[in-house]
Amino acid sequence: MHVHYRLHQPLPLDARLQLDGFTVLHGVSGSGKTSLLRAIAGLLPGQGEPWGGWPVQHRPVGYLPQGCALFPHLRVWQNVAFALDGSRRQRRSRAMQLLDELGLAWLAERWPGQISGGQLQRVALARALARQPQLLLLDEPTSALDPVTRGDVIDELLIGIRRSGVPALVASHDLQLATVADSVALLADGRVIQQGSPAEVFRRPMNVAAAQLLGISNIHSATVVGRHGALVELDCGGLRLHAYAPADLGWHSEVRVAIAAEAIAVEPVRKGVPLTLVHRRREGLCQRLWLRSAAGVTMQALLPPLADNDWQLGDMLQLSVPSAHVHLFACNARGAMPSAGRGSTQTTAAGIPSSA
Amino acid sequence: MAKASWIYWIGALALMVLVLPFAGLLVSTPWLRMHFQPGDVEAISVSVLYTLLALSIVVVFGTPLAWWLARCQFHGKVLIDALTLLPLLAPPLAMGLLLSMVFGPYGWLGEPLRRLGLELTNTPQAFVLAQVYGAAPYYIVTARAAFEGVPRELEQMALTLGRGPWQSFWRVTFPLAGLGLASGLALAWVRAMGEFGIVLIVAYFPQGIPVKLWTNLQDSGLDAVYPLLWLFFIVALPLPLALGLLSRRQPVY
Repeated sequence: MHVHYRLHQPLPLDARLQLDGFTVLHGVSGSGKTSLLRAIAGLLPGQGEPWGGWPVQHRPVGYLPQGCALFPHLRVWQNVAFALDGSRRQRRSRAMQLLDELGLAWLAERWPGQISGGQLQRVALARALARQPQLLLLDEPTSALDPVTRGDVIDELLIGIRRSGVPALVASHDLQLATVADSVALLADGRVIQQGSPAEVFRRPMNVAAAQLLGISNIHSATVVGRHGALVELDCGGLRLHAYAPADLGWHSEVRVAIAAEAIAVEPVRKGVPLTLVHRRREGLCQRLWLRSAAGVTMQALLPPLADNDWQLGDMLQLSVPSAHVHLFACNARGAMPSAGRGSTQTTAAGIPSSA
Repeated sequence: MAKASWIYWIGALALMVLVLPFAGLLVSTPWLRMHFQPGDVEAISVSVLYTLLALSIVVVFGTPLAWWLARCQFHGKVLIDALTLLPLLAPPLAMGLLLSMVFGPYGWLGEPLRRLGLELTNTPQAFVLAQVYGAAPYYIVTARAAFEGVPRELEQMALTLGRGPWQSFWRVTFPLAGLGLASGLALAWVRAMGEFGIVLIVAYFPQGIPVKLWTNLQDSGLDAVYPLLWLFFIVALPLPLALGLLSRRQPVY
């Protein structure tokens, strides 16, 4: 399903999306994710396809707002039966069937105030599915979940959605949810800047904004100083990096590089460019290091779990980055490489992978 | 606990003061010599019948207004808010005078209406009119608060689930605002039943309980009011008391 919506209030937005299966719309808070969902549901004025201009009640969407908004005066099964017509008995048996499919039949007689956050979400899903929508819209489904049970709740929600066969658009700033989606769309500056499978998007962010949204912490300027086949050599504040680049990227070109902290390996300095360890922080089993070059460029490195070392602040270390993990962007306004290397997905201007 | 015990004593004292007049009624009622005055029974039927009529009018017209005030935002809404508060804040006697200026026999609206056959002085219609003005503001203010207490998101959910605005109102807004609407209704009932100031000026006749109590007191003294006073409480209080207790009870959800 192709979605294209334009909004002026509460913020200007012009978003195109291709929806197949479970699509996560990823963006920072305030980027308009919720507004886009509400516009598609008809709850905010906007123009676009599908269902542009239709009254809310005629749009075949199932909307799950943040917090689920179950009707507090109705029991769980009555919530699910809300969209159903027919006799009380018919409505009840259909509602029970929907609840049963999501493993919730035992909650039918409860009030919404008496069930957990994850259960609320699946009840809201059952309620939305009752009207046989063509599209599900979920707003931040993971934001209110208990961190301990969060993984299980997401799994159950995903299973429920996949089994229903209804495509779902899920607004979220939760990167973990993006990794398990069928498709990820990145929303920034009022438009979708990139869309693709999580593997594609995480492997090749289109531009600096996309890299930032994907949580890549090292974004710096660099200059092309050499070429070896498909690889270019870069000078990034004294650091030497190698990256795959299109053939038309010439010497002395100014570029931006983005490197995920996880992709950087750190070792005691031997013959590489020395960097000073300026800050360190434990993150669970992992360790995050801040390393500064002589020219003042700071790199963050996230060491793998249980990596052991006795480095002290002020120690000189060197780093190595696999070329595939150095993302290269032009310094123009859009920040996209003309034809980002290695024959990866070609993307159209709107950031949607073309099927050609 | 022990430290705060003086709070309970003050509370108990306040409660005693509040209940004192009712206890006094029990004590001073001349139970054996008590008998109705001529016209007492008619006064009861006038009060009950016309209060029901006035409340229906208040609910039918007041509910949409309350909903509109709760849901719509526009420039100059403060002005509308102030307008709805005016009849609430006007002293009843002043309100009665205003009504007689407008609807009275020589009022600028009363005269043309009279020519059309609608007399709004000392008629049942005038009585109902007075009750409506006395009770409507209380109902509207309470109902508005009740509607404002219903999360808009729930009404929107009803729409996304395929229900039209009308069905959404009846299936979501109304049940969720129900207790608030009920207390508004209870308040309006008490105001309409007990309305004296406005009624006295606009509709001395037909006499409902409050005006009849007053004339009994004037004509025959305190002893003449007891039977009607008892009946007044018996008739006027059960509905609001029940609704009040109902809205006090925590709902299950």
